[in-house]
Amino acid sequence: MTTLTFQMANRLDAVDPMVLTLRRQVEGRLADETQFRFSVCVSEALTNLVLHAETPQKDAPIQITLALSDHEAVVDLFDPTGAKAFDLRENSPSLSEVDAMAESGRGLGLILECADQVHYGAVDQRNRLSLTFHSRG
Amino acid sequence: MIHSTTHAADITVVRPGVERLTAINAKTFKEEVVALVEAGAGRLVIDFKDTSFLDSSGLGALTGVLKKIGHRGDLVVCGLSSDVEQMFRICRMDRVFTIYRNEAAALQALSEAS
Repeated sequence: MTTLTFQMANRLDAVDPMVLTLRRQVEGRLADETQFRFSVCVSEALTNLVLHAETPQKDAPIQITLALSDHEAVVDLFDPTGAKAFDLRENSPSLSEVDAMAESGRGLGLILECADQVHYGAVDQRNRLSLTFHSRG
Repeated sequence: MIHSTTHAADITVVRPGVERLTAINAKTFKEEVVALVEAGAGRLVIDFKDTSFLDSSGLGALTGVLKKIGHRGDLVVCGLSSDVEQMFRICRMDRVFTIYRNEAAALQALSEAS
């Protein structure tokens, strides 16, 4: 098991570079199709944190950990300090429920549809979204 | 940001001009394409050949352009990479947009529909 820790500035322009950094870590470990789902989930989750997780410490970076094993990749995204807890499993419409002509509202449903497992809860006094992706074979 | 070229039958081909169409640039993409529509471009091909990744914001922007065109014109997409095509499929947007393999196929189809 390898665990890597990353910090991302709480800004929209930091999301794409972080997604690419994280995807590079799973290349060769996850099947191409799973790497795609991984990228979608991380992109949507980080964007959601930057845009919607209100925090009194906007300058504090967002912490991310990535645990890699032979069997899976688990990415943990910690809510910014002070942000109100938000469990997307309880608040997201499924993609089939989103109006085809809607201009927003697909991001959280994408996370639920693309990750193999989704967990959310408090860890060490912080709220954490944990997304699991199973390795090939 | 976007690159546009005008073709016969009043067809405009638009390339997003970014490798990743995501929350950071989706609003600008939509504004620039809508400006083309407001300037009279009503038959659009969005060519994603140089775009490798699209998130929900990018799809939302594309939907916004489609709503702007409404029933007065055409909006089709082409040049989708496997990841972008999969994004369309997962979000059921392959039922909303007509998808062509490449620019030539899209131009031919729209020209024949004129």
